[in-house]
Formats: sequence, C-alpha cells, structure tokens
Amino acid sequence: MDDDQTVEESAFIVDEVSSIVKESLEAVIGRNMYEHNRVSQWTSSVAEQCLGQLSKLGKPFKYIVTCIIMQKNGAGLQSASSCFWDNTTDGSCTVRWENKHLYCIVSVFGLAI
Amino acid sequence: MEEYHSGDEVSFNPDDASNVVKECIEGIIGGVDYSQNKVNQWTASIVEHSLTQLVKQGKPFKYIVNCAVMQKSGAGLHTANSCYWDTTTDGSCTVRWENRTMYCVVSVFAVAIAL
Repeated sequence: MDDDQTVEESAFIVDEVSSIVKESLEAVIGRNMYEHNRVSQWTSSVAEQCLGQLSKLGKPFKYIVTCIIMQKNGAGLQSASSCFWDNTTDGSCTVRWENKHLYCIVSVFGLAI
Repeated sequence: MEEYHSGDEVSFNPDDASNVVKECIEGIIGGVDYSQNKVNQWTASIVEHSLTQLVKQGKPFKYIVNCAVMQKSGAGLHTANSCYWDTTTDGSCTVRWENRTMYCVVSVFAVAIAL
C-alpha cells in the first residue's frame, strides 16, 4: 500500500463508487428480461464485478457489496441499512437501477482498515 | 471504545447474530400484514434494533445490517453478497424470514477493528 496517499485519495467517494456500480449493472444485466434460471448468476456477477473494480482502486478499505434483483410485477420492496462504524473514514453508496423487467438495488460499504 | 480483554474470543459468531436478528424480525413484523405505509418504518426498526443488540455484545467490530422487505405477490427475488476483507476475523450471516404476506431478508456483516 502506498504511504504517500493524500487524505482525499483515501476517502470513500460515493460518486466514483456509484459509477462503478452502474457500469457493472449495465454490463451484466443491460436490457435482459428476468429469467429465473439466470438471475442467481447475475446477482453474483454484479457483486463480484463491483468488488473487483473497487479493489483495483487500491484504497485501504474492506468492502462489502450486497445486490438485490427483483422481478417487476407490482410487488412492494423496501430496503434499509444500519451501520456501526467510524463516520470519519467509512462510507456507503446505494444504487437503484431498473429496466423494463426487473429492479436492482446495490449497496456498497467501505470500511477503513 | 473500552478495552477488550486479550483472552476473549474475538470472532464473529453467525449463529448468535442469526438468533438476534430473528428475534428482532419477529418482534417488529411477526404478526402483521404487508402495509405500504408502514413498511418504511418496519425496515428502519429492524435494522436499528438488530444493530443495537449486536453492539451490546461488546465485541470489537464495525457492523453493517442490511434489510429488504418484499410483498408476496409471486415476483422473483434474488440477493447476493460479495466481500473484500480479512477472512480470519470478519464474518457475515443472512437470515431469510417470511410470513403470510411478505418476505424479509436481513444480512449482517461484521468487520474487525484494527487494534
């Protein structure tokens, strides 16, 4: 790990993480329809791809990525998170994404080491 | 943060966390039906109560609790988690709960604090 990183470079930047998540979602799901047999694979792929990109940033964080994919047929879905951490260093980002056939909610948490 | 005794077992116990979460879910939405107006309050209560109970255990972890409540109407729902952390100390557990009108999925993540 580089020791000469500035404080800014070691911060959890929500916009940056949000872009990474959206890229992963577009790449993995794009405009696909909800397919029961493949959704399990998609959720895993989205989470793994986000995590891979985040690791490449080379920042001193432990990351946790959660992904929820739900079929669009009128059901209600509510998601919430609660954290016990160090506010000065840790951060989270939640992205809500949808296409014609499904909803996807991805939450990313970064905890400083 | 208070000091922790070196002799204590400092590891995440998924079974303990799972029991804590189930108690919280039962207590908050155990016997009720899905209600659009109240679900926001329910999800918030579940994560807050779960987190409070976990913190009371007094272990040196940062906690993250994530909750999703979905109405039962035949729609498919998948959740997945991926983590980049220290596998010797950090851990997680996921609880799936349902009643007549809704599903609830709660994930708990514990990340060790560098001492």
